[in-house]
Amino acid sequence: MSPRQIRFLALVRRECNRFMKIKRQTVGAPLLETFLYISVFGAALGSRIDKLHGIDYVVFVIPGLIMMAWAINAFSNNASSILQQKFQRSIDDQLSSPASPLELLLAFSLGGFLRGLTVSVLTFLAASLLVDLPVDHVLVLIPGLFLVGFFFSQLGVLVGVRAEQFDDVAVYQQFVLQPLIFLGGVFYSGALLPEPFETLTHFNPVYYMIGLVRYGFLGYSEASVALSLAFLSLAVGILFAVNYRLFRIGYRLRA
Amino acid sequence: MPDASAPALQIADLVKRYPTGVEALRGVSLEIQTGEFFGLLGPNGAGKSTLIHCTTGLAQPTSGAIQVFGHDAIDHYEQARLAVGLAPQDLNLDWFLTVAETLDYHGGYFGMSRRDRRARTDELLETFSLLDKRDERTRTLSGGMKRRLILARALMHRPRLLILDEPTAGVDVELRLELWHYVQRINAEGTTILLTTHYLEEAEQLCDKIAFINGGEIVAQGTSGELAARYGVASLEDAYLELVGRKELSRAHLEVDEEVAS
Repeated sequence: MSPRQIRFLALVRRECNRFMKIKRQTVGAPLLETFLYISVFGAALGSRIDKLHGIDYVVFVIPGLIMMAWAINAFSNNASSILQQKFQRSIDDQLSSPASPLELLLAFSLGGFLRGLTVSVLTFLAASLLVDLPVDHVLVLIPGLFLVGFFFSQLGVLVGVRAEQFDDVAVYQQFVLQPLIFLGGVFYSGALLPEPFETLTHFNPVYYMIGLVRYGFLGYSEASVALSLAFLSLAVGILFAVNYRLFRIGYRLRA
Repeated sequence: MPDASAPALQIADLVKRYPTGVEALRGVSLEIQTGEFFGLLGPNGAGKSTLIHCTTGLAQPTSGAIQVFGHDAIDHYEQARLAVGLAPQDLNLDWFLTVAETLDYHGGYFGMSRRDRRARTDELLETFSLLDKRDERTRTLSGGMKRRLILARALMHRPRLLILDEPTAGVDVELRLELWHYVQRINAEGTTILLTTHYLEEAEQLCDKIAFINGGEIVAQGTSGELAARYGVASLEDAYLELVGRKELSRAHLEVDEEVAS
């Protein structure tokens, strides 16, 4: 391996090492949470809810839960990891290394991305044991989930870099991210909502992300798949460009 | 192409202005020759740490140039950073890592192979008496051990220029002497050292050359004797007190006062 490859790998290993050292909190807890959602909304309440678009309610909900697990874990991992390292100033060890702004940004992004991937895969495996979960369009599902994971990784990096106290991360997660995800249609179909809420849902980016992932699993989507993919790619590109600029100028990282 | 005979550190007209408008460095120029043990002294807020941060990429200069062994340290900094090791003033260890991991990751950031990292980690843990702590999380270490680990981390990638930012602040006598013996040894072996300290006797004993920085400017530099001569005083400490405008604190004055009183 070249010194540059060793460097990048070390940066990524550090991020993964962090969440694996506290895996009960970073992997175990989200997994349990998702399992509880499946139990309550699927097994307990699901039997009393009619099929949605011809799909059992529990099966309808699981793709959204998998996406939500990836999104929240990718976001919270990166935001917390960066803020924590800024607090301890241990981030100076990476910042004073020969690593480029791009290497640093990618490495910090990958930490949350890989944690989200881990939780999502485990959720998928657990859900597959409980219900018969189809995978209809794997070629949409994998790029869709990767884009969602990368989007929230970038968002976590952005919030972590901007944050000056832990409250900043928590506020963003509880008051912005959770409502967007819940109201994006994880637990229901947007078509069930009365106006003007159905129309308002169309302005929520998470609505398109869930649509994409649901289409990948179940072959059903309320929004255009091609449009959702294009929109998500554009959003990821813009967010990445913003973060790259912040890392280049050292915004709230370097004095 | 860097010149083989280039100074270890060459700083030209370095200005650092913070967004608040505070000018921490006002056109600093400084040259440290390869193999020197160089002391940078000045009161708190004089610009010592800002200068170090600009050299190591932790602060972005407003203008000016920094070269490390002839390599640009601001824009195309890869080679310059490889040559510098920084032991910062703060105990900025990563709480999630163990002692050995701290060194291993640092070596990784600097592109060292796994085999080299392992060998170097063992060597440094032994040198700094941390072998029995290798698998302990850094937050469980005592202050003195954290300070040792900070120094070991700075040395991990075998830097040719070692920057020590107040390395003995809050350290007991035994560890201080231990650190100085080690640093003097690696200096004798060829490592250039840039030291900031508030202990003037340390600077006097260790440094070949000393610069005074005050108000973001280098106000004087030379050997300890040259600085004392320049200010017309007997010691480096008195020269420093002249610099900061507190000559009434001079021990020479205190001795005279005591004699008058008796």
